[in-house]
Amino acid sequence: MTNKTLMTRLEATRQIATAFAGDPIVASLGHPAYDLFATGDRDTYFYTWGSMGLASSIGLGLAMAQPARRIVVLDGDGSLLMNLGSLATIGWVRPANLVVVVVDNRLYGTTGGQESATAHGADLDAAARAMGIAQTVTVTTPAELETAVVRVRAEQGPWVVVVKVDESVPAVKPPQDCVFIKQRFMAAIAVPEGGTLGGPA
Amino acid sequence: MPATSAPLPWALGVCAGLHAAGSRHVVYVPDNPLSHVLRVLRESYPDIRTTIATREEEAFGIAAGLYLGGKRPTVMLQSSGLGNSINALTSLFVPYQIPALILISMRGDEGEWNSAQVPMGRAVAPICDAIGLSHATATSPETTADTIALVGKTAFITRMAGVCLLPRRLTVPAPSVKVGA
Repeated sequence: MTNKTLMTRLEATRQIATAFAGDPIVASLGHPAYDLFATGDRDTYFYTWGSMGLASSIGLGLAMAQPARRIVVLDGDGSLLMNLGSLATIGWVRPANLVVVVVDNRLYGTTGGQESATAHGADLDAAARAMGIAQTVTVTTPAELETAVVRVRAEQGPWVVVVKVDESVPAVKPPQDCVFIKQRFMAAIAVPEGGTLGGPA
Repeated sequence: MPATSAPLPWALGVCAGLHAAGSRHVVYVPDNPLSHVLRVLRESYPDIRTTIATREEEAFGIAAGLYLGGKRPTVMLQSSGLGNSINALTSLFVPYQIPALILISMRGDEGEWNSAQVPMGRAVAPICDAIGLSHATATSPETTADTIALVGKTAFITRMAGVCLLPRRLTVPAPSVKVGA
């Protein structure tokens, strides 16, 4: 694949954020989260600041807790490689409402651009399929991503969508207060934390 | 332990305690003592959903998502698995103040036979202290339900994960030593 045919991660993220506007999105730490914020902050975004690898697991738990909502995960190739077991669990539980989008830039962008295994043959789409996730697709252009989005919105998941992208250097960072991120997110999906509500003495 | 035998009192207590704490989701990586808990859940708690994870850190990720979705998660693991979970606890549960009821089946404490389990077993309580997780211990079958219910309720109302240790003296009791004539 030639790099000039690929979207940047920011361009892909903008398309994803538009396609899934209103859905809760769990963003993996570092550049995926930074780019999601750059497309326009929403209360329905859960930005992680640590726990590398766990975005898809957090998404699985959310999908189990909120089966009537579509839950979107914005993961990176390096992050998902750190928690490949998550694909096996998702392939077993098979939540129809879970969509894992992997922005695959084939490198560890947040830490300086070291190559990841997807630059050398690792195929996260095939890995997902091998773990029992039937709905997978790999896209390399905006048009293919749009086609994938239409399918994801129409057909039951769980989905794994691998978007081949090029690294782009983020210029902004999401909010850094973790409790604020959590409380805002939970209020936005209508399960406000008890501690934020007040009530009888 | 054959499946036809009666459920163990301590395992009944674990299930009653986590149920009383309002938890209806248990995410776990199994170990031998926990199999008794899982059996009671399967046979007597149809309202509790159990989910097995491939690794303890993943179990904590799923539990965090359950909490963000409005549920009260329990995570069950062996003490060895705490080592696989520290980054999830320190960079997700603690800073975001995400609560969970954490039940740790102990290895490496009194009654252990496997020396490879001892270093981590010894480290469990100091690690919990170091990363800011409060921990209690279920000391007898009779008090297990109350202890776990209290740990769980406290965790969920204060929004800080709480640990209850299940020592081998509880889960794999040794025959009593006869004292005197």
